[in-house]
Amino acid sequence: MSLSDAHPATRARAGFDWDLIRRRGKSILVHGIVLGLVAIMLLPLVYMVMMSFKTSTEIAQDPLGLPDSLYWGNYMQALASMGYVRSVLNSMGITISVIVVVVFAGAMAAYPLARLENRISRVIVMVMALGLATPNFVTITPIYVIFRDLGLLDSYLGIVLAFAALKLPLAVFFYTSFIAAIPIELEEAARLDNCNNWQIFWHVIRPLLAPVTATLSLFVMIMVWNDFIYPLLLLTDKDKLTVMIAVYKFVGNTGIDPTKLFPAAVLGSLPLLLMFAVFQRKIMAGATAGAVK
Amino acid sequence: MIRSLTAATTIALLLASTAAAQTTLDVVAWKGNEAEPAGLPELIEKFEAQNPDIKVELTFVARKDVDKVIPPRLQGGNPPDVTMVDSALVDLWGGAGFLTDLGTDSPWYDRMIPAVREVMTSDGEIRVYPLEVIGMGNFVNMDLLAKAGIDTAPVTIDELKAACQALSAEGIAPMIFAGGFPAMLFVGANGIDPDGISPSEYGLGERSFVGDENFNAALDGVRDLVAADCFDPKLQAGLDPWATAPQEFRSGNVAILPQGAWNIGNFSSVEGLNFQFAPMPSLHTEHGLALDLVGPGWAIPRDAENLEAARKWVDFFADEENLSVFLTAEGAYSPYTGGVSTMPDLAAPYTEARDAGSLILWPFSTLEFPKPLQTEWEDSITGFLLNIDEPNEKTLQRWDDTVEDNL
Amino acid sequence: MRARHSLYWFTLPALLVIGLFFIHPIILTFDMSLTNFKGIGEAKDVGWSNYERIFSRDRYLQEIWLTLWYTVVVVSALTVTGLFFAAMLHRLPLIRNFSRAALYTPAMMSFVVVGYVWQFLYSPLNGGINVALRDLGLGAFEQNWLGDPALALYSVAFTQIWMFTGFTCAIFLAGFAGIPEEIGEAGRLEGATSWQRFRYLELPLLGPSITVSVMLTTIGTLKTFELPFILTKGGPDGATRLLSIDIIDNLFGQYKFGFASALSIVMLLIVLGVAFLQNKVLRDRENAS
Repeated sequence: MSLSDAHPATRARAGFDWDLIRRRGKSILVHGIVLGLVAIMLLPLVYMVMMSFKTSTEIAQDPLGLPDSLYWGNYMQALASMGYVRSVLNSMGITISVIVVVVFAGAMAAYPLARLENRISRVIVMVMALGLATPNFVTITPIYVIFRDLGLLDSYLGIVLAFAALKLPLAVFFYTSFIAAIPIELEEAARLDNCNNWQIFWHVIRPLLAPVTATLSLFVMIMVWNDFIYPLLLLTDKDKLTVMIAVYKFVGNTGIDPTKLFPAAVLGSLPLLLMFAVFQRKIMAGATAGAVK
Repeated sequence: MIRSLTAATTIALLLASTAAAQTTLDVVAWKGNEAEPAGLPELIEKFEAQNPDIKVELTFVARKDVDKVIPPRLQGGNPPDVTMVDSALVDLWGGAGFLTDLGTDSPWYDRMIPAVREVMTSDGEIRVYPLEVIGMGNFVNMDLLAKAGIDTAPVTIDELKAACQALSAEGIAPMIFAGGFPAMLFVGANGIDPDGISPSEYGLGERSFVGDENFNAALDGVRDLVAADCFDPKLQAGLDPWATAPQEFRSGNVAILPQGAWNIGNFSSVEGLNFQFAPMPSLHTEHGLALDLVGPGWAIPRDAENLEAARKWVDFFADEENLSVFLTAEGAYSPYTGGVSTMPDLAAPYTEARDAGSLILWPFSTLEFPKPLQTEWEDSITGFLLNIDEPNEKTLQRWDDTVEDNL
Repeated sequence: MRARHSLYWFTLPALLVIGLFFIHPIILTFDMSLTNFKGIGEAKDVGWSNYERIFSRDRYLQEIWLTLWYTVVVVSALTVTGLFFAAMLHRLPLIRNFSRAALYTPAMMSFVVVGYVWQFLYSPLNGGINVALRDLGLGAFEQNWLGDPALALYSVAFTQIWMFTGFTCAIFLAGFAGIPEEIGEAGRLEGATSWQRFRYLELPLLGPSITVSVMLTTIGTLKTFELPFILTKGGPDGATRLLSIDIIDNLFGQYKFGFASALSIVMLLIVLGVAFLQNKVLRDRENAS
């Protein structure tokens, strides 16, 4: 669908005319330019993928050129020693659990905050804002101690809660502004039917939250997938490690070797990008709307 | 999605149950991963074969993250059974009482090289089993040197300058000199006279850097290298000493890279890279100065759950045969007297300087220079390279201020 | 009324988690900031002296300004690039979904991966960017991207902008989607150019999206430390030393936990202050228009 197709009204007055051709030409040109810009934005990623297929000699001699042939050796080496599949499963399991916690706790907390505008609500919102503003490297030591005291170390539950805490403030903000925009009449009808608060929340409000939930899930996914300090701190069992830990272990940080760095980087990001590609329509479509309404 | 979580949990439980009957020795180290295996996978296998009731679980934590991840565990009373430490950590954690005394009556204690023993012993306790002393100096690409008609790695300042001029006449980039680390090695090697002033005098504030003859000469020496076309000082600030700088050497784009011997293994794996490891040219010696870094060791935290197994682990490394596996993989020297030589031939120039007694222990690794001074060196030497014509005093004064701040 | 107040029970799970993992640690951090704690062992009370040190030295005030400047650069650039792509893609439904997803990809990568990839791109000798410039015959534009103190901050900022343009673009596209069709249609019939429609019809209606986007990117950027840490470590010679970098260095480079905690509290106050101010200004502007 091009610009002119989208608006038959403007096209109707033309039979066969140069104006239409000029328009078409311009439209193709604009599409080309924007696609070109998007392509430029993707160049660093192309560079990353390209590097991952080069032998060390190729990287040395021609840092920008295309690899002569796809050299899979780097990947073989990475896959052989990263414990890849296991760590991907762990990351996915943890990610999904965090999403569930954040979505439920966030939406629940947002409901009263959106509906009751008073001092209590404002205080609670302030508390949430404090969470949003805290740089998380500051709180590492206290968090460890709290986890130890609660017996949550080295457990999936612990790491899920820790991650959930990081994104919960954001969730509350998103849901609050979204729920505030839902007409109150919907609830009043339900209340007349003698529904209690929980039933209203569950049957009336919750089904409407899908777009925000999608956006929020994306944020959670990105954070959980990429963070490695929390897993490093809170998980010691090798079998519970996440993808980024596997990448980090493989690459190390003294004398970064491109033949290790780039394939590990690609492998580390790939599952997330695939998930994103599969769900992108759902996530993006009505999505970020949640943040905006 | 719940199902995949359940599946993951089930797998975890299955895996955990097979190991249930044994002691699991929780070891944390910043070596032993893919990029720097240090022979540990092999050693763990051997250790487990000798101790069938112990299963070793090695967790890799990069050195910079050790500071974030381990103190909470020590403080929380839930530390690893054995953890890798360097002198800064021994000082900090040991000083706070979180590490056990391994006992100055341990058989290996007396075999330790005296200088190392002195550094590592505090309050009459030895809280670390030192694993290595590792060299720092110049990696030299011999093929590139040969193109410029030179066949030995430069070990004196004059040789270095001559090599630079010959290389740059051939259109070959002679040297990496990034302020973040490589340049520090040159400045240290020229500022510290092995037979002269002890570095601790500066570190304790008893002697100031400003006006100090040696360190002024060291900075002037950097200018001489620039004059000899060794490097473009401004360019060096853009190189990362841990990522892009080694890559330039690996790629054969530059002839000389000041770095640590821990890169030997990695560089050796590059096909067609013919290099040697040489001591740092210094004003104070004809042999070149070997800069020995007192490397990491094993420590057993006070609250370790499996003290006995942890002891066995340390004793296992005290066996020379086992230690030499580690040292060979690292390209390091034994911190114990009478240790077998484990260095590859390509490090012969460095070993020669060492044997000739042309050697200092890197003052940042012995804490003779306080830790904040290291950051200040990184920053200020980069600043110096960016404005190379400014008086030395400007740089040296910053070091004095940092030392004073830290007292 | 009772029924309505009982609604507050709904906030309990979230409050518990946030109280436990944020409020409690912040209180502990504040306590720590009044000591000389080294991250381990005993801490000695030193009163307000850590704070006195922060405000009596130029170094930290400069870092605060640098952090704010960096944030201004990143946030305004992100707003402009995001708006640009969103406005274009809004007009080009054919490639909208694809481009939005493609632009978003960098935001999904980990900071560490992005940091190292760009480290190799920026390298002054054989880095991707300089080699590309040379190959294109633009050798004259080669730069020491991370090594030139006048340039390094902007190189780091550029990487961050590259990473999050897709993020702001997605927010603005959602904003565009909320603009009723008829408005654009009316503009077109009156012969308004594409730019005029954007400037006078769409932009005023994007107020809420701009608020959200600016707030989120500001908070995120103020807290940033990963990219400068990996790309420059605050160098060359302090040219990119943001407040967060100094906090990390004090915590883990020098084991001055007490002092680092004080810096963190200052930073927290700055983030809160900026967020509060922004919220007020942006909401007022929204309401006014």
